[in-house]
Amino acid sequence: MGASNHSNKQKISKVMTRKKIIKIALILIGVSAIIGGGVVYYMFNMPHRDVQATKTDYSLKASAIVNEYFADANKANEKYLDSEGESKVLEVQGVVYDITDDFNNNKVVRLKSDEEKAGVSCTFTAEGNASVANLKKGDVLTVKGVIRSGAAFDSDLDMYEDVIMEKCSLVSK
Amino acid sequence: MTKRTVTSVFLGAAMMALFAFAPAINKLLSSKTHVKLFSTTPAENIEANNYKSVSVIDTKTGDVVFSVPMQSFEFEKALMQKHYNSPKFLDTKKYPKAKLVAKITNLSEVNFEKDGTYSAKVKGTLELHGKTNSVDEKATITVKGSAIKVNSTFNITLADYNIAFEDGKPSTNIAKTVAITVEADYAAKD
Repeated sequence: MGASNHSNKQKISKVMTRKKIIKIALILIGVSAIIGGGVVYYMFNMPHRDVQATKTDYSLKASAIVNEYFADANKANEKYLDSEGESKVLEVQGVVYDITDDFNNNKVVRLKSDEEKAGVSCTFTAEGNASVANLKKGDVLTVKGVIRSGAAFDSDLDMYEDVIMEKCSLVSK
Repeated sequence: MTKRTVTSVFLGAAMMALFAFAPAINKLLSSKTHVKLFSTTPAENIEANNYKSVSVIDTKTGDVVFSVPMQSFEFEKALMQKHYNSPKFLDTKKYPKAKLVAKITNLSEVNFEKDGTYSAKVKGTLELHGKTNSVDEKATITVKGSAIKVNSTFNITLADYNIAFEDGKPSTNIAKTVAITVEADYAAKD
């Protein structure tokens, strides 16, 4: 009697362990499904990178980056552009050449001196527009933004193209 | 050679140089541009906007050039923008610019000096994603004083530019043909 009682207990505890394992497994599956779903949801609705809140990768003069592109465009693209479009965040110092508006009603400040062939064309954010309202040609300033493309002479356009920066804001020095 | 001939040769060369580098008044430049991509499928509509293209029109020869910085296209969803830029799709690090080089073929029907709306036929090539194809599209040119505006809408077939979506979700969510809408304001190029 005593022996069979013992094996019964063992059976019961085996069943209990199996139930426990199944329970834990179910909880794990549930939790990972929630996390997985959350990740997918987050990925799908992932916010755009806030360029102004991103650490500056390079701080340099407008003429310096233009000359880097003139010297070797491939090397400069390798250095500054990102394969998923999250390219380098730059702080560029330069002289205001002109200020215009784009079709999005954002300000476009071109940093270029009169004698330079190409400069840096900086499109400001909606928040940054007011900061450039009182600027004029010849002002010296620093602009932070993300680089989109480099400078080069285009033989079809028959002109020099500027370095392009967007999501820009003035940097107070 | 006498001093006089040297002087006149020098003067002549200087005059020629001056003419060669004289500002070309027949050229129009636009850096105020808007290029929109639009793809529609039953699954979703995808739109991307670009405000950083540069364009030049030569009113005498009818040459039209459009240079489009590919990383300047902005999508509503950040993930879509990353997909678009990635080497699997447009590979914008390797091909940072797209370029249209074309000619207005009915230039005689467009008067850049007279106010009005003109329908222009534009024929040439589009280089995108490292692949060049011929394009033959229509554009509307609106002249109002010295302000000249160009509008155009046309379709491109992604497969023509080796933009393939073989696997995964994007293949069902992105249309095979994408509508491109172009708007540009031109002024005399200095």
